[in-house]
Amino acid sequence: MIALLILSPLILLAALGAVWKARPVHAALLLALTLSLGGALYIALGAGFLGLVQFMVYVGAVAVLIVFSLLITRPRDEVEEIARRPKSLLPGLLCTLPLLAVLLYAVGRNVPETTTEAVELPIKRIGELLFTTHAPAVLAIAILLTAVLLGAALFAREPSKKP
Amino acid sequence: MTFLIAQTEEPSLWSPEWLPLLPKRLVENLLEHFNAPEWLISLGGTGAGAATVLAVFMTGFALLSLIERKTLARVQNRIGPNRAGWFGILQPVADGIKMLTKEDIVPAKAEKLLHLLAPILIVVPAILALGVLPYGKEWIPVPMELGLLFFFAVGSLTELAVFMAGWASGSKFPMLGAMRAISQMVSYELPLVLSAIAVIMVSGTLSLPDIVSQQGGFHLGFLPAWNILTPWGLVGGLVFFIASIAEANRCPFDLPEGESEIVAGHMTEYSGFKYALFFMGEYLGLFAISGLGVTLFLGGWQAPLPGLDFVPSWIWFFGKLAVIIFFFLWIRATWPRLRMDQLMRFGWLGLIPLSLLTIPAAGIWSLLQRSQHGLLAWLVTVPLLLVPFVIMTVLFNKRLARSNRTYRFAES
Amino acid sequence: MKSDTQSDPRPAPAKSGKWVLPGLGLLQGLAVTGRNLIESFYKKERMTTIQYPEQRAPISPNYRNIPFLCYDDNPEAGLRCTACKICEKSCPPQCIYIVMDRDEHGKVRNRPKVFDIDSSVCMGCGLCAEVCPFDSIYMDGEFELATDDRFDSLQLHLDDLSKSAEYHLQLRPKQATEVLERRKADAEKKAAKAAAKAKADAEKKAKAEAEKKAAAEAESEPEAATEKNENEAPEAKKAEAPQQELKAEQPKEEGGGE
Repeated sequence: MIALLILSPLILLAALGAVWKARPVHAALLLALTLSLGGALYIALGAGFLGLVQFMVYVGAVAVLIVFSLLITRPRDEVEEIARRPKSLLPGLLCTLPLLAVLLYAVGRNVPETTTEAVELPIKRIGELLFTTHAPAVLAIAILLTAVLLGAALFAREPSKKP
Repeated sequence: MTFLIAQTEEPSLWSPEWLPLLPKRLVENLLEHFNAPEWLISLGGTGAGAATVLAVFMTGFALLSLIERKTLARVQNRIGPNRAGWFGILQPVADGIKMLTKEDIVPAKAEKLLHLLAPILIVVPAILALGVLPYGKEWIPVPMELGLLFFFAVGSLTELAVFMAGWASGSKFPMLGAMRAISQMVSYELPLVLSAIAVIMVSGTLSLPDIVSQQGGFHLGFLPAWNILTPWGLVGGLVFFIASIAEANRCPFDLPEGESEIVAGHMTEYSGFKYALFFMGEYLGLFAISGLGVTLFLGGWQAPLPGLDFVPSWIWFFGKLAVIIFFFLWIRATWPRLRMDQLMRFGWLGLIPLSLLTIPAAGIWSLLQRSQHGLLAWLVTVPLLLVPFVIMTVLFNKRLARSNRTYRFAES
Repeated sequence: MKSDTQSDPRPAPAKSGKWVLPGLGLLQGLAVTGRNLIESFYKKERMTTIQYPEQRAPISPNYRNIPFLCYDDNPEAGLRCTACKICEKSCPPQCIYIVMDRDEHGKVRNRPKVFDIDSSVCMGCGLCAEVCPFDSIYMDGEFELATDDRFDSLQLHLDDLSKSAEYHLQLRPKQATEVLERRKADAEKKAAKAAAKAKADAEKKAKAEAEKKAAAEAESEPEAATEKNENEAPEAKKAEAPQQELKAEQPKEEGGGE
């Protein structure tokens, strides 16, 4: 409970910063911070495996991908970015606040009466579940990733040298 | 923490096996004597254990920086540093004092916060990773059930820190160096993790102490049951060690930080203590990843021959670590640097297929071994690994045997 | 610019049918460096490092840095320099400063009172050594001249610059032996000349004395003794001649012995 109380405001602040900041690099790093704090939250809630995987995949691969693409394509600087923003917040709030209300309602309807202690699945069980009960999902993701890899290899291939 | 393993029984205080745990147990006994609450005892004990590991590896880092210079010098037919104390043993002290007293220059165009954070973020994962390795039968600073996953998770933090170092410096060389360093580290993380997956599959657990204890025992009475002495383990181990050289940005993969290439890559704009932190992070990372390689493939703290059990297990671990690091030094002194495209090609087209092959090979091996078909296991896995390797070398030779180089733009 | 087939520096490519295990060259390289590492511990000829400042590398006899003044036996009396100032005039950056030594009457004593070389100005060209007519100034091989005083310690005075002929012999054996032999031959020639002159002088003196004696005897015994004198005179002359020869040989020996 303490971990949740400490981590949640930090996550919210980091996420707000990631969305709000004008400099892309700062925003990307704050996104990485948000994701790693989310991983810490999973660990605190008892899902150690998921938390560490979150760290490894999201922070170690996705965030690195984002910052790498930032390195290669130098994006617009701060002043231009701020100038491109809309002048008032009202349209954005009109779109997002209803969504927030719906989410809160949905979560609030499903809060259980008693809180149970988190039971961590042993890793063997997670592996068994992944490859038996949820095997179609894993297969679909595998096919998708293979297609992505092949596509990337195709794009990055050197043009064939025909004399 | 719910995912910590329960501790084993603790015999006498002064046996050599328990020697490295002495500070931790002394602190715990002292706090218990004063009737401290439970959390304080465990906190104090863990702190003392962490301090022990840090002390050992900081000394090791200092010694390694000297031994590296002297070994490289001997290979190059000269004497290394021998002025600062008897045989140069105080050279790391002199280096430390120099780094501490240097002016800390931050470029004007640099982003100060990120510039400051980057070296810290490089050292912290290395130290964290050192905490989960089993150094001896009883000496594990933080025994975690998910130790291996934790290791890789904090290892991936290093890439982000390299990016921060490169971007925050605000000048060309660091950004170029950071780009190269990140692409290299990401590319070589794949073979690293894939070869570790083969080990995980065979051992059935992510906890490093269990992986080491499963490599106990001896085949035929004298051959140790280490993972590197199996077909898939040989390939996997070699791939792992090559990938760990690349992860640690060492020769022959040190293009991101080679002095004649790009000044110091992402570390260019750092001076004084921050540079010392980068240096330390690199070496501690080297220790950590070589330690992981020793744990996964070389049997960790297991003795190599049946009769040598009387030697404390942590001596075996550090001995194997020393041998691996000596090989890394030897390689550094010998081989030239790989160019960026050669590096990438080697990683993606050479190491990843091989490491992918070790996974089915390991699976077939362990299935056949468990059903007592030892010979069949050898007969199936060796061709499974060898034939694609030979095909790859044929393709490689074909590539080498191309005709004379044609210039795309310079022909007229 | 066609793609040059002839000037490809790489070795001939392997035939496509031949299979080579890649990586063997790497292992060969490891073997070479491994041998280097092990042999560096016991083979002395591999480690050519000279541990400065405990050991020093031998310098070539052709190496020159700043000049020095040569003396024969005594730093003051044997100093060959006569303060002729030819080197001062021929020095391109004008780093030599010479003041002639004069005695209490103002007469020149052919030796320098002040001989300063500014070693921060001296460019080591060796022109002063080439033009010196008295075999006095030569180029030294001393290079460890660093001080922490920028102005005064780099000025070298007569005491710093005077070094013995034995030092010169050690520094540049060929040149020094040539100079010493030449000086010795010159000294011998000079001594021989002096001895010959002394002998000629002594002979002249004896001849003059003999004539004087003959004249005196001729006057004292005019008639009767003239024949005797004439008889005695040639005898006396004969007796005196070997004496004179003996006398003449003595100075010659003395002259040769110097």
